[in-house]
Amino acid sequence: MLQVLASKLDSHLLTSLNACVRCGLCAESCVYYQASGDERMIPARKVELLGSIYKYYYRPQARLLPVISGARAINGRTVTEMIDLFFGACTGCGRCEPHCSIGVAIAHVNAVGRAMLSEAGLTPASLQSTVNAALETGNNMAIPTDEFVDTIRWMEEEMQDEISDTRARIPLDETDVNVLYTLNPREPKFFPLSISAMAKVFYAAGESWTLSTRMYDVTNYAFFSNHAAESRLIAERLRDEVFHLRAKTLVLAECGHGSRAFRWEAPNYLGHALPFETLTSVELIHRYITQKRIRLDGKRLKERITLHDPCNLVRSGGIIQEQRDIIHRIAEDFEEMTPHGADNLCCGGGGGQLAMSEYNERRLKIGELKADQIRKTGASIVITPCHNCVDQLSQLNFTYKLGVRIMTLAELVADALIFDQ
Amino acid sequence: MAQIEIEGHVFEVDGDGFLTDPSLWNDEVARLIAKFDGIEEMNDKHWAIVRLIRSNFEEKGMAPMIRTICQHTGLKLREIYELFPLGPARGACRVAGLPKPDGCV
Repeated sequence: MLQVLASKLDSHLLTSLNACVRCGLCAESCVYYQASGDERMIPARKVELLGSIYKYYYRPQARLLPVISGARAINGRTVTEMIDLFFGACTGCGRCEPHCSIGVAIAHVNAVGRAMLSEAGLTPASLQSTVNAALETGNNMAIPTDEFVDTIRWMEEEMQDEISDTRARIPLDETDVNVLYTLNPREPKFFPLSISAMAKVFYAAGESWTLSTRMYDVTNYAFFSNHAAESRLIAERLRDEVFHLRAKTLVLAECGHGSRAFRWEAPNYLGHALPFETLTSVELIHRYITQKRIRLDGKRLKERITLHDPCNLVRSGGIIQEQRDIIHRIAEDFEEMTPHGADNLCCGGGGGQLAMSEYNERRLKIGELKADQIRKTGASIVITPCHNCVDQLSQLNFTYKLGVRIMTLAELVADALIFDQ
Repeated sequence: MAQIEIEGHVFEVDGDGFLTDPSLWNDEVARLIAKFDGIEEMNDKHWAIVRLIRSNFEEKGMAPMIRTICQHTGLKLREIYELFPLGPARGACRVAGLPKPDGCV
């Protein structure tokens, strides 16, 4: 653990560990504190925990006077607290950072805490199990290749029947195409309608594209455990598949953490900039619309619609306006949540929380804030460009009896496409 | 590790309410978990889905693809989503006594 801490101790981290002035502004920004009122969960307390370990090992004077300095050695008690706070009480949503009066990189500090734990093999079992499935089988749900191919063929047939054109295809493993598209494994496994939705968009745009059977998984769960070697290995596989198929552009499916882990973090994992264009599907759909490559049946949707912003895509990635422009073209009655955009509240399922059964109760409790936000909009449809958020929102829909429909952006767009005959 | 109590029966479950020991599953357990999820009475379609998931799990150690469920039961995708309001994973697989699938579900 100390080796990991040493390797991460740059000026960025050092400043964050030493700078907190305990103003308390971060408290109200955090969904965990808002939902529970538990002071242990205040973001600054997470910084304080790692800071106390730093002091113990790097400040001899602090170590001599632990009662005054708060320096803490790594022992059973500290580790239990680290797991509970870094893994169990943070979705990595990063909302605390812009609310911090002096700009402490709180979410980064929390992620360093996770890296220390994961290197020591202390990642919660349910999260590590998803990482292992990806490492061992190439996708995080361990879907066998033949079953994946059968599902894609099935979706292709259904789509061709629906739009009465056998030229509408879902190509597999084609080389030298413009776009290599990716999926969240939950799509082929349980929720494949978003695959045919995106295929319809590609068909309408006349795009040359493909899926890969070797590496189609957009997720990188080692981003959540922040394990250096494992997150790098998963990113390498996706990069290498772009090379293998000689695709021009890699398009990341609607997946908040997957987008962040590849588009923005992969250069750090890999140690070099990505030598090809990488886009999220939100940006690609927006591009198709502005370039008039696809046409939408404008303002066809009369139901009230609202939008949930995935933290990794929006607050961290800065993709804020594109999805709004798209929705405005389709929906007559679009109502924003309060707050929204870069200040949006996390749905509660981020940071790997959805996978970690250990903290299920907390996850549904913090999600109540999101449920209230949705209810206040009066919307009957919630759009979110993230499959992980879709699952959390679906559970909130059931638990808090919201009576809404949850859809991805591609599903909304596919329903509004005008196909040229 | 947690416990849930449904109509006087107590089950050991994980934090998400999936059975800790899948071998303790039987029809009565399925009915009780379904009830817990708001499915008052399991109909033939519910059972067809649950039995297929269960046999796939016993054979291959994992939940079947949704395609396999549709193909073998003759049900449409949307019907399956409607029959289990919590979806195929958190709904149907849980009623079938499987451990929670990995991934974003």
